[in-house]
Amino acid sequence: MRTRLSGATPAAWISKAKNEPMRIVVCVKEVLDPNAVNNLALAGKLRIGADGRTLDVASVPRLINGYDEQGMEVALRIRDAGVECRIAVVSIGGDQQAVLRHCAALGADEIVAIDPAGAELDCEAVAKLLAAWIKGSGGADLVLCGRQASDDDQGVVPVLLAEKLGLPAVLFARAVEVSGTSLRVTRVTSDGDEVVQGAMPALVTVSNEVGVPRFPTAKSKMAARKMAPVAVTAASLGLSAGDLAPTVALVKQQLPVVAGNCEFLQGSAPEVAQTLIARLRADGVI
Amino acid sequence: MSVVVCSWGNTVERGTEEVLTAARAYSVAAGLPLRWVVAGTDCEAVRGLAARYGVAAVDLISHPKLAGYGPDALTEALARYFAQVQAAAVLLNQTAESRLVAPRLATRLGGAVVTNVFALRHEGGALHVSATAYGGDTHATYRMPAKNSIVCVATTTLAAEHAAAPTEPQCNPVDVDLGAVEERFKVTAAPKAEGPRLEDAEIIVGGGRGLGKADNLGLIRDLAAALGGMWGGSRLLVDDGWIDASRQIGLTGKITRPRLYVAAGISGASQHMAGCSAAKTIVAINKDRDAAIFRYARFGIVGDCLEVIPELIKAARGG
Repeated sequence: MRTRLSGATPAAWISKAKNEPMRIVVCVKEVLDPNAVNNLALAGKLRIGADGRTLDVASVPRLINGYDEQGMEVALRIRDAGVECRIAVVSIGGDQQAVLRHCAALGADEIVAIDPAGAELDCEAVAKLLAAWIKGSGGADLVLCGRQASDDDQGVVPVLLAEKLGLPAVLFARAVEVSGTSLRVTRVTSDGDEVVQGAMPALVTVSNEVGVPRFPTAKSKMAARKMAPVAVTAASLGLSAGDLAPTVALVKQQLPVVAGNCEFLQGSAPEVAQTLIARLRADGVI
Repeated sequence: MSVVVCSWGNTVERGTEEVLTAARAYSVAAGLPLRWVVAGTDCEAVRGLAARYGVAAVDLISHPKLAGYGPDALTEALARYFAQVQAAAVLLNQTAESRLVAPRLATRLGGAVVTNVFALRHEGGALHVSATAYGGDTHATYRMPAKNSIVCVATTTLAAEHAAAPTEPQCNPVDVDLGAVEERFKVTAAPKAEGPRLEDAEIIVGGGRGLGKADNLGLIRDLAAALGGMWGGSRLLVDDGWIDASRQIGLTGKITRPRLYVAAGISGASQHMAGCSAAKTIVAINKDRDAAIFRYARFGIVGDCLEVIPELIKAARGG
């Protein structure tokens, strides 16, 4: 028995025909390449833009958030395991073609770009847009998101989205198994792996422990070029500019200053080793 | 209106004292009383701490359904509590658990949430929080609403400081009705105790790609053993399949705060430093004198790990 969301409250989830395939929605975000940003930072070349709030990143490529790509990988593994499913991938932003076509090439059946019409969105507004689209497009049995985006690192959109959909959220998955309407998730915790089980519909966030996601084949890339994302506007989802006005405002962004207080030990390898151990012992560190 | 620290369980988690310190500073700046709400069964465990950190009142939510950590019961209990206690800001110690509970609470209260916060300021009458972004490569400052701002505090870089004058907090039992709540996901296999945790280790040796190849990880293990500590590595080693994710130190891995951290062949990327920069003493070994890791290190050795570490093992074993 499949259940689908068709209204505003959990009570509005309705039963659908048994033979209808499971619907998985994967939420993806385009981010600045975190390795490129990090390399700039390591080289001391990272700069904040004139607005004092955003990175000056003309030279940094944009790509799919790595954790979201792993969310897509989890969806594909569910399909690999023999579960009949349709995978819809949704992103927010006017120009998300590259990211969405990548997911199409990987095997998404449906790709959707929600255009926020230039409005600056906070996490709450992002969750509102995603929730409105999911509700309006036939609901979902399983929503997959990356554990966080590698730009703001907040990791709160998935949980806000789950709340708006009235779904339970399971965080930091390394493995997800579907069995009928039941979901088994292996979570990464600080004490080791934990396995939890519950009924769908549900939202799961995916952690990097999932491992390296697959690459699309050349042939599927070619085919995906013909697939255009379905364009959705905030207005068509019934959300006004006022609905999306941020309650959390980014005021400024700065580069951290690391004091730097390193004493370089000089000499041959045996000499520096002796010196270091002696210093650590003298300071009571070891 | 109050500033409220929120925690659960009957043991006081590492980081709680740092959260109390940050909360007290903010409550003084905002001119609001500081409360501490605990979902658990034992008030005595927290009352002494509450007194030392200047908490005005402790609220204890006790309910059989809160006996173990259950996110659904906990969210419901806290939502009901905050319907009675008006909060300007709610501070939580950032953990895997609070990363779920905090945004859910924000939604229930119609508030807002920011995670990875390391500083709170009262500026122009509003709460401003600073949080790490881009794995720590930048610091972002956000302005939050005047009511029900939920703040997840990443405590690794914060210091705990007792209040100048201790308080004598009363412990108020709080009744909540959790009759209808059932956990939607149930734990079917709890984490197996896998021995000591990196999070609790006093001495850690961390390896990076500078080790050259997976075979050289033995050096890291041996040095950790010689120093009486544990070992781990950067996320790159996990991605390369050299080590298990349970040994990953960094933003999305283990957040450690040892007495000594030896970084071997690690460049010092912010994502990694988020998991070890709270170490009291950092020793860095790297071929590249300009590597970022030396900015964080107390002692630096410019050299090849493969030459230096065997000597360190010898020196540590001797004497």
